Amino acid sequence: MLKKIFLYNGIKKNYLNLKKIKNYLEEKTGFKIEIRDEFINYCISKISVEEEKIKLIDKLSDDIARIRIINPNKKEIERIPHPIEINLEKKYILKWAEKPIGNFYNGFELILIFSNLIPKEETNLKYCHIVFTNQLFGTWDEKNFRYHARVVVFGFPTIISTTGLVEGPAKPREFYLKKQMGIDPLILKEEFKGRFIDYEDPRITEIMKGYVMQAIFFHLFGNPFCSDKNCRLYNAHWQEEVINAQLKGDYEFCGEHEGILKKIKA
Amino acid sequence: MSEKKIFSLVGEKDVTRAIVSEFAKQFTEYVESDCIIIGGGPSGLMAGRELAKKGYKVLIVERNNYLGGGFWIGGYLMNKVTVREPGQEILKELGVPYEEISKGLYVADGPHACSKLIASTCDAGVKFITMTTFDDIVLKEENKVAGVVVNWTPVQALPREITCVDPIALESKIVIDATGHDAFVAKKLEERGLLKTQGFGAMWVERSEDLIVEYTGEVHPGLIVIGMAVSTVFGLPRMGPTFGAMLLSGKKGAEIAEKNLSL
Repeated sequence: MLKKIFLYNGIKKNYLNLKKIKNYLEEKTGFKIEIRDEFINYCISKISVEEEKIKLIDKLSDDIARIRIINPNKKEIERIPHPIEINLEKKYILKWAEKPIGNFYNGFELILIFSNLIPKEETNLKYCHIVFTNQLFGTWDEKNFRYHARVVVFGFPTIISTTGLVEGPAKPREFYLKKQMGIDPLILKEEFKGRFIDYEDPRITEIMKGYVMQAIFFHLFGNPFCSDKNCRLYNAHWQEEVINAQLKGDYEFCGEHEGILKKIKA
Repeated sequence: MSEKKIFSLVGEKDVTRAIVSEFAKQFTEYVESDCIIIGGGPSGLMAGRELAKKGYKVLIVERNNYLGGGFWIGGYLMNKVTVREPGQEILKELGVPYEEISKGLYVADGPHACSKLIASTCDAGVKFITMTTFDDIVLKEENKVAGVVVNWTPVQALPREITCVDPIALESKIVIDATGHDAFVAKKLEERGLLKTQGFGAMWVERSEDLIVEYTGEVHPGLIVIGMAVSTVFGLPRMGPTFGAMLLSGKKGAEIAEKNLSL
């Protein structure tokens, strides 16, 4: 039985309000929710021996540098990173809020690295760990042979990316056509304002409630998704579908999932 | 009454002597310098300008007969160049007029921005050899990069049978690779198994600029990579026609070079 959900706050700016998400989850599910600091730094802070801490940071810097996707069309990512890359990852572990977004990481590999950091006493299904980050990650798609940026990759922990929310689900087709014509994305953003989620968009917190709920359904039942386009558990591939499922739907959850939530809370 | 003349009486031989002697004098002096920058585009010019301002002896090697690289035009042959904040601060420093066209996006006339940057680099004391192609690197103790091998650009363009012209070497304490996506200098290290370049990724204008500045650095003892060459070495997303990162990466490369030179 799930005892507690941990939300790790890897977003420094206030466009993501985890307190609102916590309140929402408590009300909807009745589970205990705890907000924690940025995931890596939280886990490192639990290590008391300074030498071990330094060793772990060095290892993590190397591990994370290794899982950067260079070519999204090539499945294999095995390579030896340059010391500059490793040093930058180290700098970003120590000063996570200064890490620029733009690098693209393998989502499943990132979960593997993260899963080894979770405090031992919390590595069982009584605990659900959900990590928020602004880093972009993706997974390999066997259907079209390329990596795709994702909002969420489910696992232990589940990782959710605010950058993935902007870059993962596709924007309206006309946006890409105009971009190909060389129009600056900043100008296009004005033209298509409201039709997709942008960086630091004030709608992000509300949207993330749905993604966290998907993470919980994955944790409990192994299936995070619903086929109903209006349900918050819908696996949206287009920005307009995200906006519809998370913000514009007539209801939050379809009848089936609403019923499950009621049972969970009871 | 003598005939009125506008220009002084100087013969052909004097003009030729002036060109040869002055070029030879400068060339002889710059056979050895503090820093050689390969590539006279915006990042190379910026790096050279910053180092020369601090009193270092800098030589820029450019394969074309003109400097500025792609900074003359903003993409698709349209001569308006864009920078994102804080790139406009450098335009301001150079005295280039610019306009904010949307939040954080600035536009300037390409010819104005590029010519001002070139002029400012010259004013700082940087010297140039143009129509000169980078051919190879000079490696010294422990494979430290200690100079470059160059040749006339036309030599490469002509059939080998009629252009058996050996290149020459120039020495420097630091070499900066500002050759754009080609990353010619870094690739010479790769040929020798001393470095592995990753090739640039897909275009992501908004985010690639930050990364190019962040990853700018000394990739091998004696070799600093700046500008779009950074993207190729580290496999960063490709940039669009915007120049803020070129200017800032050049500036950062100069800071790293200065730190090395002052050791």
